[in-house]
Amino acid sequence: MNRFKLAGNSGSILKSFLLAVVSLLITCEATAHHVLGRPAYSLNEDSNTPPSMQVETQIGDYYLTYMVFPAFPKPGENGRVNVYASRIDNGDTFQGDMTFSVRNDGWFVDKNEETIGTQQVYDGVYRQGFLFKENGNYIITAKFESGGEPYVIDFPLQIGESSSMGPVGIALGTIVLALIGVNVAQRKRLVREKIRNTRDEQE
Amino acid sequence: MTHPGLPEFWGAIIWLFMIALSLWAIFQWTSSKKSSATHSSKHISLANIKLLQPFVKFITTSGWPLLVLKIISVALFSLVIYAGLNGTPIPERNIATVLTWNIWWAGLIISIFFLGSAWCAICPWDALATWFVKPRIWIKNKQLLNINNSLQLTPPKWLRSVFPALFMFIGLTWLELGVGVTTNPYWTALLSLLMVVLATLSLAVYKNKVFCHYICPVGRTVGFYAQLAPIELRPINTDICKNCTTLECFNGTEKIDACPTQLVMGNLNQNTYCTSCGNCTQSCPEENISWRLRPQSNEAVQSARPHWDEAWFMLTLLALTSFHGITMLEFWESLISKFAQTLGDSGQLLTSFSIGFVISILIPILIYSLVILLTRYLTQTKIKFKKLFTGLVFITLPLAFAYHLAHNLNHMIRESVGASQLFLNPLGTNTKPADLSATILKEYNMLISQDVLFALQAFLMMFGFWIALKVLRHRSEKLLPEPMPGAGWKLSPLLAFIICINGFHIWMLTQPMIMRMGSLCISPSLIAPL
Repeated sequence: MNRFKLAGNSGSILKSFLLAVVSLLITCEATAHHVLGRPAYSLNEDSNTPPSMQVETQIGDYYLTYMVFPAFPKPGENGRVNVYASRIDNGDTFQGDMTFSVRNDGWFVDKNEETIGTQQVYDGVYRQGFLFKENGNYIITAKFESGGEPYVIDFPLQIGESSSMGPVGIALGTIVLALIGVNVAQRKRLVREKIRNTRDEQE
Repeated sequence: MTHPGLPEFWGAIIWLFMIALSLWAIFQWTSSKKSSATHSSKHISLANIKLLQPFVKFITTSGWPLLVLKIISVALFSLVIYAGLNGTPIPERNIATVLTWNIWWAGLIISIFFLGSAWCAICPWDALATWFVKPRIWIKNKQLLNINNSLQLTPPKWLRSVFPALFMFIGLTWLELGVGVTTNPYWTALLSLLMVVLATLSLAVYKNKVFCHYICPVGRTVGFYAQLAPIELRPINTDICKNCTTLECFNGTEKIDACPTQLVMGNLNQNTYCTSCGNCTQSCPEENISWRLRPQSNEAVQSARPHWDEAWFMLTLLALTSFHGITMLEFWESLISKFAQTLGDSGQLLTSFSIGFVISILIPILIYSLVILLTRYLTQTKIKFKKLFTGLVFITLPLAFAYHLAHNLNHMIRESVGASQLFLNPLGTNTKPADLSATILKEYNMLISQDVLFALQAFLMMFGFWIALKVLRHRSEKLLPEPMPGAGWKLSPLLAFIICINGFHIWMLTQPMIMRMGSLCISPSLIAPL
């Protein structure tokens, strides 16, 4: 799942609802073809290169595009994150510095954030290399400041294969536990009925 | 990439049809003092057709055909889970996403048009749950295994309505369109596992099939749409059922379970809760239950009984079906993006999406409620709002079904090309994402020609409108039996509601639609050497 956050924004439910109604009623411009915030996979012009993973999203005044090369990085393999940031209102590219950090997103792991670099824009793109030693789910955080506002955006990054046995194990475990519980309850119920029947017969 | 919308020519044809039929309806309903509306309720039992008799008898009384189909369905379902958890995350290259969302989810609705609730009979969620909780093996009248690991508790009152299924359906749609489960093989597999766990737990705790009856969003959607299906499981000879005192269909037998949704076949007059499981056909000692053909939409028009919870399900089904279409139009993304800027939403824009989602559900419900209030005022009826609301809500069913079919047909015909090739590499190992040329190539390799697809969509939209008018006429006559001069004009708010909803659906169909996922055509150049 993608996880993102933007510093300092809130609004009442009623206000949101009214804004939504107004927006739904007055906006009808047709432009985008992507689903914002969802990963998409694509080939470069040269299809011999590995595919890349791309997420388009928006935060505050900016549209952000985040690309990972290769799309499915493995431990010990050099990879790169490219970030493009452009203003929503006029399309101007963001020119300030962007800091990248990383943290582990797994369960029961050390979630300390580690800064991996501060990058300057080159040809409209921020490029940050990475090399992970272990499989896992990580969060890459890009931070920058614009108009006195801090911008913090998280992108998911999976290194190696995702766990397949975990979900199946949890599902099967839940079912087995439930069936054992039901079995025990049924046995108790049968014993109770037997005792009651015996008592009834004696009386 | 987007699919082309229905050409304006077809849009105009449907509108002409709608206008002509509406004018005729207003004129006819206004001028006729007494009801001249008749609705054929002729049935043809397949068991009475000599040519089909042996085949029908075999599939209804033998447990083997269903068992074989269940095994196939469970095998495919297991493949979905395995591929989803272990295969490539590229959705168009993984069989989990393609089989679940492009083929099953789209094809399921189409299957109801011909086979009613037949899907439920081979549903892998229920099959697995039954095999886990109540494994039973009979070979030649010899019982080899018969375990019943269920507490058989009576479900609490709050669970005994379709509201749980309604909330599940809303949740499923949110996951599908908001979170994007449809383009994520891993999440598709997790969702599949969750459904099996829910089905198993409910079977282990409660008696009968509470999951199928009250919780399953797919089963209830199938059930409601099955009111419009041309096929039903019913008694061959109703007199046999009238004189039956043992009710094996309801109680079950030593070998066959009772009806999972507690239906008595002799009294059955609607398909909504029938899961086509075949228990009644196999348990009836007289072999008196079989499939029969009936006029399409017979139940929605006259025999289905209105209920408050079911009314909400039908209305929300209409809202969610329309919402599906809206999110696949190009304007939706920019609309949500602008709304997110206003709210300060970021990332996947789930807050903005969720608010838009709630509004999209509420709008048709509010409009329908207002229309009912207006109808009540115009007809000067003393019938309570709730009764009119539940009694006339059946008009939404053909509107939702027709659009759902037309929309899904587009997905299935255009996006399922090349799906069979996925069985050669279900995990999508070493495959690459679809490029533009493969996606365009797919448009040239559609399962049927584009013109035929457009004609089918237009036919479905006209069919839905026609059925909705029939439902309105029969239901209103039933609810408002007193002589009503000028009935056509007094029912005009409801007629306008039908026209507006169908008109909106037609407009959506004429717009370019964003495809669910990329190309499925796997050209050799896209597969890296192993």
